[in-house]
Amino acid sequence: MNAADAPGRERGQTLRRRLAYTLLLGYALLMFVPFAWTVITSFKTLPDATRLTVIPDPITLGAWEYTLSRLDPSVVVLFANSVFIAAAVTVTNVAFGSLAGYAFARLRFPGRDALFLIVLATLMIPDQLRVVPVYILFSSVGLTVGAGQYVAVIFVTAVSATSIFLLRQYFLTIPRELEEAARIDGAGFFTTFWRVMLPLATPALAAVTILAFQGAWNGLFWPAVFLSPDSDHWTLPLGLTLFRLTGGQGTNWPPLMATVVIATIPILLLYIVFQRYFVEGIAAAGVKG
Amino acid sequence: MFRRWIVFGSVAAIVLAACAAPAATPTPDSGTPAPGATPWNPAGISGSATLGQWESSPSERSALAAALAAFAVTYPAISVDQETVAGDYRAQMITRFGARTPPDLFYVNAEYARDWIDQGFLEPLDDYIARQSFSTNPFFKEYLDIFTGSDGHIYGLPKDGNTIAMAYNTDLVAAAPATLDDLLAAAAALKGKGSLKAPICLNPGLDRGLAFLYAQGGELLAADGKAPAIETPASTAAVQWYLDLFRDGLGMTAGDMGDGWCGEALGKGDVAFAFEGGWLLGYMRDSFPDTSWAFAEMPTGSSGSKVTISYTAAYGIGADSANKDQAWSVMQFLTGPTGMATWTGGGIAVPSRSDVPVPAGFDIIVKGAEYSRPGSGFMRGYNDVQKAFQDAFTAEIQDGTYSAAAVVTATARAIAQQLSN
Amino acid sequence: MRRRAPAHRRPEAIAAYCMVAVPMLIFLLLNIGTFLYAAYISVWNWNIRSGPVDFVGLRNFERILGDPIFQIAIRNSIYYTVVWVPLTMAVGLFLAVVVNQKIRGQTFFRASFYFPAIASSAAITTLWIFLVAPDGFFNEVRGALGLNPLFQLFGFGPHQNWIGDRRTALNSVIVLNAWTTSGTFMLFYLASLQAISREVYEAAAIDGANAWQAFWRITFPLLRPAHFFVATVGMIGGLQLFDQAYIAGSPNGDPVNALMTIVLYLYNALFVQIRPGYAAAVGIVLFVIMFGATLVQRRLFGGTPAS
Repeated sequence: MNAADAPGRERGQTLRRRLAYTLLLGYALLMFVPFAWTVITSFKTLPDATRLTVIPDPITLGAWEYTLSRLDPSVVVLFANSVFIAAAVTVTNVAFGSLAGYAFARLRFPGRDALFLIVLATLMIPDQLRVVPVYILFSSVGLTVGAGQYVAVIFVTAVSATSIFLLRQYFLTIPRELEEAARIDGAGFFTTFWRVMLPLATPALAAVTILAFQGAWNGLFWPAVFLSPDSDHWTLPLGLTLFRLTGGQGTNWPPLMATVVIATIPILLLYIVFQRYFVEGIAAAGVKG
Repeated sequence: MFRRWIVFGSVAAIVLAACAAPAATPTPDSGTPAPGATPWNPAGISGSATLGQWESSPSERSALAAALAAFAVTYPAISVDQETVAGDYRAQMITRFGARTPPDLFYVNAEYARDWIDQGFLEPLDDYIARQSFSTNPFFKEYLDIFTGSDGHIYGLPKDGNTIAMAYNTDLVAAAPATLDDLLAAAAALKGKGSLKAPICLNPGLDRGLAFLYAQGGELLAADGKAPAIETPASTAAVQWYLDLFRDGLGMTAGDMGDGWCGEALGKGDVAFAFEGGWLLGYMRDSFPDTSWAFAEMPTGSSGSKVTISYTAAYGIGADSANKDQAWSVMQFLTGPTGMATWTGGGIAVPSRSDVPVPAGFDIIVKGAEYSRPGSGFMRGYNDVQKAFQDAFTAEIQDGTYSAAAVVTATARAIAQQLSN
Repeated sequence: MRRRAPAHRRPEAIAAYCMVAVPMLIFLLLNIGTFLYAAYISVWNWNIRSGPVDFVGLRNFERILGDPIFQIAIRNSIYYTVVWVPLTMAVGLFLAVVVNQKIRGQTFFRASFYFPAIASSAAITTLWIFLVAPDGFFNEVRGALGLNPLFQLFGFGPHQNWIGDRRTALNSVIVLNAWTTSGTFMLFYLASLQAISREVYEAAAIDGANAWQAFWRITFPLLRPAHFFVATVGMIGGLQLFDQAYIAGSPNGDPVNALMTIVLYLYNALFVQIRPGYAAAVGIVLFVIMFGATLVQRRLFGGTPAS
């Protein structure tokens, strides 16, 4: 904040940097508290799980054994269903989101602003209000039974206005010069999009990939509506509803927490892989001209 | 180990059902077939039926599996496809009703039974009952009444029931108090002792409060059910008595103790008394095996007579269900003496019929059914009444004013609004 | 109203329509269609199974606006949004700027700051309730750190029930969601920061601007599209707060309507009271509020950054 050339500035800065670094580290560690708690609880017994203690007493693998081998539908089925649906939803969101985002950001066409407002407006209708008409629609075309249930869940989340919106805003920040150079070379709109704009949008595509996958992975509302009748189609979040205790009162915390750990790790890995694309210069690489 | 129990339970159930099979073919003991209607023989039906249900625990799952296995032995021509609703049962069922594609047979909780009947979601069962000469006499009347519409038709058969009893920590309480005065004395003596956060775990709403309201001579509705009675001096005094438990530090909500519900508070030793139903048995066994506790009957209040409240749920068939005949065949078995004995034999619920043996450990709960009154489902839109009471009651506690006047006014207004709808 | 596209622009328009066609068709079916359906049934007393019962005109809207519980729901939802959105934007932007620098352990920081955003809202809310319970982690830690006198100053005892007390329930949910969503907002900003050329900063450095000035003069204005996106998506999400309120406060918005939100009110109208026409009218009112707010935000943050 202070640009003055005071004596001892060097030392002051190092000290300040240390302090800032310590604060950051503290904040970062605080972020891990809930997850650490989840992991710890998964190694506890049920009576121990209701107590606020850090070290499980006794330490047991019972919850993990229960989660891995005794869930019905099995955790493998839940996991596979989640991967399938989340992967499909991610692909459609990235594909349709980038195409539409680019068109809304860069191309000129009649009705563009009105259409974009409609895209935003789709975010403003609560799912609770949509569920009955959407269910009527899907059941009338046979998408509420058998494998159609997967199609229903994927279809209803196939493209979100958030993905389009995010990519549009990103395309808006990319300098125009590059694109215009390509246009002068005679490239068509799709070629320009594919060859020039898409590579420049890598950070935003990474963000949409993470968000779409995570949204589908954690989604409970639509999967509960469409996948409920056939438990072989359940996803992990539906499986998380299985850990109630006798009579429906109380929660079987340890295996629930083990399942949460299993559900968390894929997104964490996905995020760590894709955050590498948040590198300065990817987008700016071509601006030299 | 768990799987072995399921297998064992299923085998036992099948054997039991096979032995009891002759009895499972209903014999007409009351109710005569409607004139002109074809007599009904459920064994002559074939096909399949979907069963929509919530599932609250693994033990509930195995109990239902055992009952359905017994059904398959008796009625091999009908297959049952279970549709376990994950998440919000009520919302998902409403969605299915809206699309006119409900499961063929499904659970109906007493809480919303009247609303579902009024909306036309459920199929009247009188015709099936008459044609098969299925006797409804063994059902506890209070349970069956909840599923009887204002038009007099029966829209559901109770699958089980539960009553609220007093659970107490036997290390802290030597003898169960028989009256509410004794309870107050015991609580006052325990206040501040040991690790107790409060002597009694209480719910700030009618969910449990209704039992105390009745015990203290209060009423929610007038005798004819057509007007609120919560504002009468007797009712107001009863509400005030309940509020005073909080004011005097004798009672506390589970949330304020940091517990999810009163069962957890009892298990952790935060309280000496809790008021819960039969579901507490399995929970305490699984979560707090080291806590010694027992059930006792609900203490008697100033009304002088024994009273408690009950909860129930039924099987219903949708007005738009595709396979109603098959659904009825399944329903009459599951709510019949054999099917219900298998279901409640799983140790998680109490029979809703008087001719089914009481499962071990549930005797106090079943005894309560002799003098209990419905804890929900006795009026339309009861959810809004409960909400009005609980909101006002909680506000009195949190504001530290502890006055029943605002609570009964708000509740009476909500009741009047529902009755006028 | 725009006139027909000039002839030389026609290929551009055709390409654009092709690019937006699939999403627009899906939206037409699943969003616009359901909106029109809701608009239609909002003027009826409607049976969810059998359809229209009787025409009530605008009476549903009159009842909604006159219902004291709906007024509480509106107040809660707006308060939540007005506090939560700027708070989360500020934290998210701060974190993004921090992890965009070449600091030691960059991947570790990026992962840990995003961490709270990973878990599903159901899991994280359940855990949060546990952590801020009267005897929970938070109260224990502040007691151990000797902070209790400070909290006492504000009238909070050592065993304050943050979620169960009507004075603190909504603010507790705001803190919860600011904490979890700041990771997501960081992600948005982090992606957008990549589009800002290093040369711009170099030019600023030559002009003698320090880091703080460079941030406010260059980074912040250049992030305008990102601000618009985050503010709009945040506002729309905030006014539709449901999951956390439902889990922490049941469908009733306990304690004493402190967690009653507009969508929770809609949920009750539809699934508890089973009044689809009334619920649809609530949805329309909510839509009008959000659409109006979006237009205002578009004025504030919309448009492209100066190039």
